[in-house]
Amino acid sequence: MKVRVNEVEHHVAADWRDETLLTVLREHLGLAGTKFSCGIGQCGACVVHVDGSAINSCLISIADVENKNILTIEGLASGDGSLHPLQQAWIDENVPQCGFCQSGQIMQALALVGDKPDPTDADIDSVMSGNLCRCGTYDRIRKSIKKAALVMRSTS
Amino acid sequence: MVSISRRNFLIATGWVAAGVTGVYALSKHAVAVAPTIIFPDETSGAAWVQIRPGGVCHMFFPRVDMGQNANSGLAQIVAEELNIDVEDIQGVQPSTSDVPPLAVTAGSMSMTAFSRPLAIAAATLREGLRDRAAVKLGEPVAAVLDDVGGFQTSDRRKVSYADLVDDTGLVIERESDQAVPALYAFDSGRQKTQVGHPKSPLGIRDLVTGGRVYTADVPMTGVLYGRAVQPPVRSAQIASLDTSGVAEVRGVVTLVEEGDFVGVVCTTPRAVDKAIAQIQVTWDLQQPITEEEISRLIDVDGKMAAGDLEHILQDKAHRRNADWSVDLRFDVQVQTHAAQEPRAAIARFNDAGADHRLEIWTGTQDPFGMQRFASMDTGLSESDVVIYLQRLGGGFGGREHYEVERDAVRLARAVGRPVKVQWTRADEFMASRSRPASAHRIRIASDDQGNLTDWWYGYVTGHVVFARERLPGWLLPVARLSDDSGVVKGAIAPYQAPHQRVECEDVDLPIDLGVWRSLNGASAIFAIESAMDELAVLQGKEPVAFKIAQMQGEQPRLAHCLATVRKLSAKRRLPEAAGYGRGFACGIYDGRCFVAVSADVFVDEVNQQINVLHLCCAQDVGMAVNPDQLRAQIESNLVWSIGMALLERFEVADNTIQSSNFDNYTIPRMRNMPTLDIDIIDQPNLPPTGAGEVALVAGPPAIANAIRDASGFRALSLPIRFADI
Ligand code: FES
Ligand code: FES
Repeated sequence: MKVRVNEVEHHVAADWRDETLLTVLREHLGLAGTKFSCGIGQCGACVVHVDGSAINSCLISIADVENKNILTIEGLASGDGSLHPLQQAWIDENVPQCGFCQSGQIMQALALVGDKPDPTDADIDSVMSGNLCRCGTYDRIRKSIKKAALVMRSTS
Repeated sequence: MVSISRRNFLIATGWVAAGVTGVYALSKHAVAVAPTIIFPDETSGAAWVQIRPGGVCHMFFPRVDMGQNANSGLAQIVAEELNIDVEDIQGVQPSTSDVPPLAVTAGSMSMTAFSRPLAIAAATLREGLRDRAAVKLGEPVAAVLDDVGGFQTSDRRKVSYADLVDDTGLVIERESDQAVPALYAFDSGRQKTQVGHPKSPLGIRDLVTGGRVYTADVPMTGVLYGRAVQPPVRSAQIASLDTSGVAEVRGVVTLVEEGDFVGVVCTTPRAVDKAIAQIQVTWDLQQPITEEEISRLIDVDGKMAAGDLEHILQDKAHRRNADWSVDLRFDVQVQTHAAQEPRAAIARFNDAGADHRLEIWTGTQDPFGMQRFASMDTGLSESDVVIYLQRLGGGFGGREHYEVERDAVRLARAVGRPVKVQWTRADEFMASRSRPASAHRIRIASDDQGNLTDWWYGYVTGHVVFARERLPGWLLPVARLSDDSGVVKGAIAPYQAPHQRVECEDVDLPIDLGVWRSLNGASAIFAIESAMDELAVLQGKEPVAFKIAQMQGEQPRLAHCLATVRKLSAKRRLPEAAGYGRGFACGIYDGRCFVAVSADVFVDEVNQQINVLHLCCAQDVGMAVNPDQLRAQIESNLVWSIGMALLERFEVADNTIQSSNFDNYTIPRMRNMPTLDIDIIDQPNLPPTGAGEVALVAGPPAIANAIRDASGFRALSLPIRFADI
C-alpha cells in the first residue's frame, strides 16, 4: 500500500495498515511534525491536508488515504527552505509558546486562507475553533492569519 | 551522590575542555531532595556560560522549555553582559550528566532566580577576557573598552573574543569574596542592546516547521510501544484484575504486572490500544471519589463554627462578632492542567559497558528528580541513569513527577528493548494532579464612611505542595505541621483594617492533587476580590477608587496597576444596553508580582451565554527583560482566566474521574476570545518578577465582577454558567 506525503511516495508496511493516518505519519514514516493530543477530533493538533482539504488525521484510517495526496507541516516550506507566509507570520508575531498545537493551527489556517483570502474575525472564529491552544496564543494566531493573508493576496 | 565541586564536575564532563569558562573557586555541592529544590545562588551561574574557540558563546540552558521561553530571556541577559547579539548564543539543553543538579522549573521563579547568577557569570567572563585583551594589546586594563563581540582601544585597535580564546581549556576563577563585576543588564542608566528589546524565542523556527523537539518525536531504532493502566487516584490498589484477553491481541510482546502496576508492550501503537482495552481492573479506594465527599471535606462553615482553622496566617485584634457588611461563601472548582501534549517517555536499558545503563527521554519540569526516582525504582546508581530533557508541550505545574517515565522504565526493563510510552488524553485526565477544590468564607465590616474595620477570611482547600502524592508518606505529618506554601498563596489581602484575621486549613481530598498555575493564588484572590467588589457595590462606590483607598497607601505598586487598568479599560466604551458590564480586580502573586485586570462582558439573554468581550491587564513586572514574551505570558493568563471563570470543571463521580477529554472538559477556544489590551509596567531598577502565573489571579474575579455589573448576579461558585444567572 502506498501514500503520497509532501509529494514523496511512501510504502506502508503490512503491520501498520490498521493504524490511523496520524500514527503512520509519526511512527512509521518518521514525520513527527503532526501531533497527537486528543485522538477524538476535539483539538486539531493533528490537522493535515488530504487532497487539499484539512482533516483531523487522528480520525482517519491510513487505508482511507491510499494513493491520496497528503500535505503535512513538513511540506509547507518550499524546497529551498523559504517559509510559507503563514509560518513567517507565526515567527514575526512570536506566536508559539510551548508550540505543541502550532503545526495543527498552521495547517488549519492554510485551509482557511485558501477558502477566504481575506478572512474576517467571524471566519477565523468559525474555522479555527476546532484547534485548541492551552497556552492561549489565540490572539496572536488571529493576527498572524490576517498578516499572512495580506501577504498572500499581495503576491498572488 | 558523589561529592564533586562544580569545577571538577565540569572538567569531568568535558564542558571546559576548550575555550573559556567562568567558575567559582568553591567546592560547594548540593544533594537533591524531593522535588529538586536547589535554587541558584550568586555562584551557580558560573559554569553555565562559555566562550568557545572561534569566539562563539555557548550557554547551558538552566530551565526547561515549556512555553515561557525563560531561557531566551536569560540568554538576552548573557548577551547584554558580553556585548553580543542573543541570536549568536548557542544554547545547549544539558542532560542530567552535563550539569550539577538544579531546581525544578516552576513557580514563575526562572527569571527571578536565574537572571542575576547568569549575569554575574557572563560579566565575570567578560572581565576575565578583558584582562587577557589588555595583555594582548599591551594596554592597561582600564584602557580596554567594550566592543561588539570583544574589546577595543580608544584609537580603535580591536580584539575579538575569538582572538582571545584558543582550544586549550581555560577556567576563569573568581573567589567568592571578590567583588561582583559591573552588571550591564541590571544597570538602569545604561542604553541596552538586548535586555528590554523584544526578541524572537530561540528555536522558534522548529516550532512552525514540524521540527522534532518533543519527547514522542525522538526517533529510536528498534523501539516498541507500551502503556500502563492509570488508577483514578495513586493510593488506589488493584481489587480485581482480568488480563485474560490480552494474549489474543496480535502484536502483544509482553504483559507486565508488578504490584499495582499493570502494562503492556506491543509492536505497534494500535496493538497497545487493543491490549489495554482487554485489561479489566477494579480498584480499592481509601476514600470515595464523589462530589459529595469533596464538599464534605472542604466545609468551611462547619469547620469555622467548630473553632479555629488549623493555620492562622494573620491575626490582628480579631473580633468574632462585628456587624458584617459582607458575609459570603465562595466555592472554587477542581481544575486540571490539560497541557496540549499528552505525556510521553522513552526508556532504553544498555549493557554494563555503556556510559549509562538507563537512558530516559522525557519532557519534565524536574529532570534531576526523574534521575533520582528512576535510580530508586531500578536500583541503579544515579550516575547510571541519564535524562535527556525534551521540550514540554505545556507544563503549568503538572509535569514534575516520575510517572510516564516510570511506565517506560518498567516496560523497557521487562522486554530488554527501548520502549516508547505515549499517554492517551484519558490517561492525562485519570492521572491528573489537579488544583484542589476550595471553599472560602469572607466577612468584612466597615464604618460610616465605608472604610474597613474588620476582615475575617477563612478557607479550606485540598493540599497543594504537601499533597500526599508529592511527598513521601513519612514526611507528610511533619511537613503538614507548617503552612503549605501553595495553600497560603494569595491569602493575605492588600487591604488594611484595624481588625484582621486570616485562617486556613488544608485537607486530604479523594483525588490526586498538586501544583496548578498560581497554586492557591487564583482561588483565594477570586474570593477576596469578589467580596471587596460586592462591598463597593453595596456602598455605591466606584470599585477601583474604593479598593485603592482601602490599601491605605501600603501597596503603591498594586494601586498603580489598578489605576492603570482603569485607564486602559476607559479607552473602549461599554455599550449602555442591558446585559453589558465591566469589572475590575487586582492581586499580588507571591508577594512580588503585581497585577490588575478589567473585564467587559455581555450576558446574552437571547443566546443564553456569557461572552467576555474585552480584557485589559496592567502588570508590574519589575525589569522587563523581554517585553514581548511577558506580554505573551499575560495573554496566556488571561485566556486561562476565561477557562477558570466560565468553562473548566474537573468532574468526578461514582468513584472515578469522569472528565476524560476535551469534549467533557471544556477549555477556551478561538471563539471564546475577547480583544485584549495589555500594559506592561517596567521597573528597570527592580529584579524581574516573572509572569508565568500572575495575571491569572486577577482575571477570574474581574470577569465575575463584570457579570455582577451586567446582571446584578454575584457569582459564588466557579465556573459561572449562564443558567446560574
Ligand atoms: S489529536 Fe486529532 S483532533 Fe486532537
Ligand atoms: S502553543 Fe502551547 S498549546 Fe498552543
